[in-house]
Amino acid sequence: MAKFVVIGERIHCISPVIKKAMAEMDPEPIIARAKEQIAAGATYIDVNIGPAEKNGPELMKWAVKTIQEACDNVPLALDTANRNAIEAGISVYNRSKGKPIVNSADAGDRIENIDLAAANDAIAIALCSKAGVPADNDERMTYCQELLERGMEHGMEAEDLWFDPLFLVIKGMQDKQLDVLDFIGQLSDMGLNSTGGLSNVSNGTPKLIRPILDSTMVAMAMCKGLTSAIANPCDRRLMETIKSADIIKNHFLYADSFLEI
Amino acid sequence: MSFKRNPQVFSGSIKEVTIGNGANAVTIGGIKTMPLYSFDAPAKHKVAIGVEISDLGVDRSLPGLAAYYEGAETLAQIAERASKMPGADFVVLALEGADPNGENRSVEDCVAEAKEVFEAIDRPLAIIGSKNVEKDTKLFSALAEALQGKNVLLVSAREENYKTLGASVVMAYGNKLSAESAVDINLAKQLNVLLTQMGIQPEAFVMNVGSAAAGYGYDYVASTLDRVRSAALSQNDVMLQMPIITPVASEAWAVKEAVVSEEDIPEWGSRESRGINMEVCTAAAVIAGGSDAVLLMHPQSVATISGMIAGLK
Repeated sequence: MAKFVVIGERIHCISPVIKKAMAEMDPEPIIARAKEQIAAGATYIDVNIGPAEKNGPELMKWAVKTIQEACDNVPLALDTANRNAIEAGISVYNRSKGKPIVNSADAGDRIENIDLAAANDAIAIALCSKAGVPADNDERMTYCQELLERGMEHGMEAEDLWFDPLFLVIKGMQDKQLDVLDFIGQLSDMGLNSTGGLSNVSNGTPKLIRPILDSTMVAMAMCKGLTSAIANPCDRRLMETIKSADIIKNHFLYADSFLEI
Repeated sequence: MSFKRNPQVFSGSIKEVTIGNGANAVTIGGIKTMPLYSFDAPAKHKVAIGVEISDLGVDRSLPGLAAYYEGAETLAQIAERASKMPGADFVVLALEGADPNGENRSVEDCVAEAKEVFEAIDRPLAIIGSKNVEKDTKLFSALAEALQGKNVLLVSAREENYKTLGASVVMAYGNKLSAESAVDINLAKQLNVLLTQMGIQPEAFVMNVGSAAAGYGYDYVASTLDRVRSAALSQNDVMLQMPIITPVASEAWAVKEAVVSEEDIPEWGSRESRGINMEVCTAAAVIAGGSDAVLLMHPQSVATISGMIAGLK
């Protein structure tokens, strides 16, 4: 019954501006991008520092402190393949506005990230995959169960596992889109939280088309019970769709100015 | 196995709004639990009672009320007596004489009356207008100016005049405002959004989400209160976390049960006790629904409700 959680995806080392700022530990571009996303309606901010094999812990600590101090302790998703960096980030993380999110664990090589989240009272994004894209929903569900059990074994609350069905690119995997939606429905029926990289859906489509596909997908997924997405909050159409869907789902009370708040 | 109590904990809480200044100031709100669930967490402030008087004087056809105000003739004397009523937290002046369809007293006269009352009491003051939007817009702006910085509560701004009143009452003259929506939850939220977007802090206004006497559409009031309070607490909706005040006397004493004379329906018994019963029922119900302050008229109702508040603390 909670409001849909948007995890802002725009602090990502793929972006040249962010990559440069991270290399130079220049706070301004990163803070600007965090503030822009918060103003647009993001609840969490994803901090993707890439593989960060050399200075991961140092870089993640710096990024967490830089963003939280400048942005009223906005809650963060710590996004890197470097486990030590995630742990280092959590060590300086301020929880006053929400638990940190470990982004991410899967049922394969990254399953220990579940243990990491459990040990640090964090939320874990749990990808329902092992290696590559699961062939079907049975496979997804097998991984989901493995991840859920792992979390339980380590004392996690089920609500702190946010299962990622793996959103798939329409250009190339158009025939799999309904499977993803059905799987979200299955997660929802089990009372589980869910999230995922929504922008994958429209990857490779023209700039004008992306907001249309993303917002349509999010509306259909929210209807199935999706509770969160890693997405671009600066996409106005997308945010308007999410807010409208939250109204229709009775997640918060309608007022004429609901799009402005 | 011993009983383990699990308090219901919400992420949201109700804001605090203070009226009056100094030692006699009253703060309402600050609640973090469902109404009266003090077993989940103690209430930071108790439900406040405002004692309502009218600029048209005391209804001396009610023997109990007449006895309480005996010897209080001028508006200042009546106000002073009201402020001393056991259980009273603040005084409410209803400017019924301002009504353009009634005595249509001028803004200047009403301001003079309000100042007279303010000077006569050592408790916070709330003022109810004529309920005519056009008149109240002028009246409230003038009252706020005359009582600048006195932290009085003006009841109420509506959709039609929130902008003028927000700017004058709160921003220019440092008084408090209530935002009235007649049993319309979406409008209640919208008014809060609009006042907030003007730059008015949540500590500067309260909500009046509407009222009805028990049996006269009260079910709508009940569901409105429930929905507002539950969204404020469980959905942490900051646009619904303003404290709620409910004018009870004006509704309870206007319905048939409180109006019809004993000559017309003798089997109903004393009119005064009927009115008190309506007032007490309605006040108890809105407090159970989440109202942080109630406006009452009769000393017996005030005694009963303040006893209830103290007993359920």
